[in-house]
Amino acid sequence: MFGWIGRLLRVNLTSGKITKLPLNQTEAKAYIGARGLGTKLWYNEVNPAIDPLSPENNLIFATGPLTGTLATSGGRYNVVCKSPLTGTIAASNSGGYWGPELKYAGYDALIIEGKAEQPVYIWIDDDQVEIRDASQLWGKTVFETTDALRLATKDEAKVACIGPAGEKLVKFAGILNDYTRAAGRSGVGAVMGAKNLKAIAVRGTHGVKAADPEGFMAAILRIRQMLKEHPVTGQGLATYGSNILVNIINESGGLPVRNFRDSGKFATADATSGEALTEKYLIRNKGCMGCSISCGRINKVSSGKFKTFGEGPEYETAWGYGADCGIDNLEAIIKANNLCNELGLDTITMAATIACAMELYENGYIKQEDSGGPLNFGNVEAIVALTRQTAYREGFGDQLAEGSYRLAAKYDHPELSMSVKKQELPAYDPRALQGLGLNYATSNRGGCHVRGYLTSPEILGIPEKLDNLATEGKAGWVKTFQDLTAAVDSAGICLFTTFGLGGPEIAEQLKTITGIDYSVEDVLTCGERIWNLERLINLKSGLTQADDCLPPRFFTEPMKVGPNQGQLSKLAEMLPEYYQLRGWDENGKPTEERLKALAI
Amino acid sequence: MKVSFFATLRDITGIKDSERFQAATVEELLNNLCVSYGEKFAAWIWEQGQLSNNIMILVNGRAIHHLNGIQTRLKATDEIAIFPKVAGG
Repeated sequence: MFGWIGRLLRVNLTSGKITKLPLNQTEAKAYIGARGLGTKLWYNEVNPAIDPLSPENNLIFATGPLTGTLATSGGRYNVVCKSPLTGTIAASNSGGYWGPELKYAGYDALIIEGKAEQPVYIWIDDDQVEIRDASQLWGKTVFETTDALRLATKDEAKVACIGPAGEKLVKFAGILNDYTRAAGRSGVGAVMGAKNLKAIAVRGTHGVKAADPEGFMAAILRIRQMLKEHPVTGQGLATYGSNILVNIINESGGLPVRNFRDSGKFATADATSGEALTEKYLIRNKGCMGCSISCGRINKVSSGKFKTFGEGPEYETAWGYGADCGIDNLEAIIKANNLCNELGLDTITMAATIACAMELYENGYIKQEDSGGPLNFGNVEAIVALTRQTAYREGFGDQLAEGSYRLAAKYDHPELSMSVKKQELPAYDPRALQGLGLNYATSNRGGCHVRGYLTSPEILGIPEKLDNLATEGKAGWVKTFQDLTAAVDSAGICLFTTFGLGGPEIAEQLKTITGIDYSVEDVLTCGERIWNLERLINLKSGLTQADDCLPPRFFTEPMKVGPNQGQLSKLAEMLPEYYQLRGWDENGKPTEERLKALAI
Repeated sequence: MKVSFFATLRDITGIKDSERFQAATVEELLNNLCVSYGEKFAAWIWEQGQLSNNIMILVNGRAIHHLNGIQTRLKATDEIAIFPKVAGG
C-alpha cells in the first residue's frame, strides 16, 4: 500500500499475545486513518456499552496516511477508546514524533487489548515487540519515565506514556509523547492506566511509500509556500503560539471569565496573552515533526515561587488557568501548565474543574473543610497546589479528579459544571459564538472546540467573516467544519494547517500519497462517515438527543459585559436544521437510509 | 478614543495603546495611524488601496465587517482594537 503501511499490531496485555495483521484496505480508504480508522477498528471489536475502565475497552493508537511523510505537520496520531469522562467515543489527537515512529516501525495502528496483571510497558523495535515489566516506572512522572525508557531501550526511541494521573485513573488523564505533546482530552490516559500500561516505546527504521512521489513533492512544496505566505501559519503562530488568541477573543467579547459566570471581558487578559508570554518567558518556538508552522512554546520562569521550565501554555490552558479562574498571573499559569505535562493531565478539564470548584466555593456549596483551604477566584497558589493534588488524588484533589460534572453533582449543583456530555468546554463563550455553541452541543466527544472550529469564521474571519451572533446558515457551517475536521484528523496532519489550506489541498495530499483518487467531495464524505460512526457508537453507549445540549447558564444568564452583553445561546434555533442536514431523524438518530448511503 | 494594537503591530507601534488619535471614521483613523507609524504599518493595513484581508479591526468589540467597514463612524468614547490576522485554538 502507499501512504498506509498496510499492517496493524495487536498486543493483548491479558494473555501476552502479540500479533501482526494486515490492514483492511477497504476500511482504510473509507475511514482514512488515525481518528477515523481507529474508531472503525474499535467499533469492529468492542461493544459500545462496556465500562470504559474495563479490560474490554480497546485502546488504539492510530496514524494516518500522511503521518510520517513530508506533509507539513505530518506528526499526528490519535488515541481512540471509550472515554471514562464522557462515556462517548474518545479520539484524542497528538503531535510530536511518536506517531511517525510507529509508522516507521511498520504499523499503521497499535491495538491494545485486555489488562496486564502488573505494570508493564511495550517496546516496539521494528519487527521485534515485547511486553516488559514497568514496576520500577510506576509512580514516575512523564519526564522521568521518558528518560528512563530511552536509557532502557534506545536513545532514538520515542516514548508515549502516562504520568501519575493516568495510574490513579484521573478521569481526564492524558497520554504524553515526546515529553510534552499530549493526547490530552477525554481521559485516554486513565484507560491506559486501567490496563496497567505505563508506556509504549517505539523505534522504527523504515519509511512511508508515496504512490506518486513527484506529484506528492510538488503538492507539498506548493502547500509549504502557501502556509509560509499566510499571516497566521507563516507568522502569527510561530511568533506568539496559539495563545495569540487571548486578546482577540477578549476584545471580541467571547472570553469566558470565572467559570463563564462573568464572561465578556477580562480586564487584565493581556497579562496572560501570547504577546506577554513571548516578551517575558519564551525561550524559543518548537515544531512537531515536519511542521513549518512551529507553534510550540519552550518556556522558562527563572525565579520565584513559580520557577519552572517546560513547553506551553497553549491558548486553552492560558485561558483555563487564567480568565476562567479569575487569574492574570502568567507565572502561576505556566507553572500549572508544566505540572499538567509532567503529571499527565488534560489542561482544559483540569483548569475548568478548578474554576467550577471556585464558583461552588464562592456560592458556599463547598466549604473550606472540603477544599482544604480558601478557594476564591483569583487564588494563584490554589491552581498549582490543586493540580498536583489531583494527579495523585490527594485530599480535595480526589474529588477534582472526577471532573467538574461529577464534582458539581456531588455538591448538588451540576448546573455549575460548564461541560457538555460531562467534558469541560474550552475558551469561547457559546453565547457570543452561536455556531460554536451548536458545535459544542453536538460534538461527539463532548465539550470541544476542535471538532468544528467555528471560531475561525465567527471571530477570526477565516475563510470568511460570519456574524458571530447570527444563527442563520450556521448549521450548515458546523456540519461542513465537523466533517472536514474529521477527515483532517484522520489524514494524520494538524488542524492548524487548515487556517491556510482548504479541501483541495487536503485531497491532493491524500491522492498523491495513497494513489486513491480522493476528490474534495470524497474527503468530506469520509469525514461525514466518521462523524456518523462516532454518533452511532455514542447512541449505542446510551447517549440520547438530550445530551446535545449546553449548560443551563447559557440559556438563562445573559452575558453581563462587553460587546455581546445581554446575549444568550440560541441553540434551539439551529439544532433541528443541523439534524436535518445530517440526515438524522428528529431525535438525532442517523436514519437507516443515511447510514446506508455512507456505507456504515 | 482609545486605539489598541496587538501581536506584530505592537512591534511596529512600540506601544500597546494610545488615546492621542482622533478621527471621524475608521478610514480617517487608519490614515492617521499610517502617517504616525510609517510604511511598515501601512503595509499591514492597505492592499492595493483596499483594507487588507490580513487585518482585523474591532470597534467596541464588533468587527467593522459587520458595521460599515472603513466608513464606520467613530465617537470620542469608542475603543478601537487593531489585529493582524491571527488564529490558534
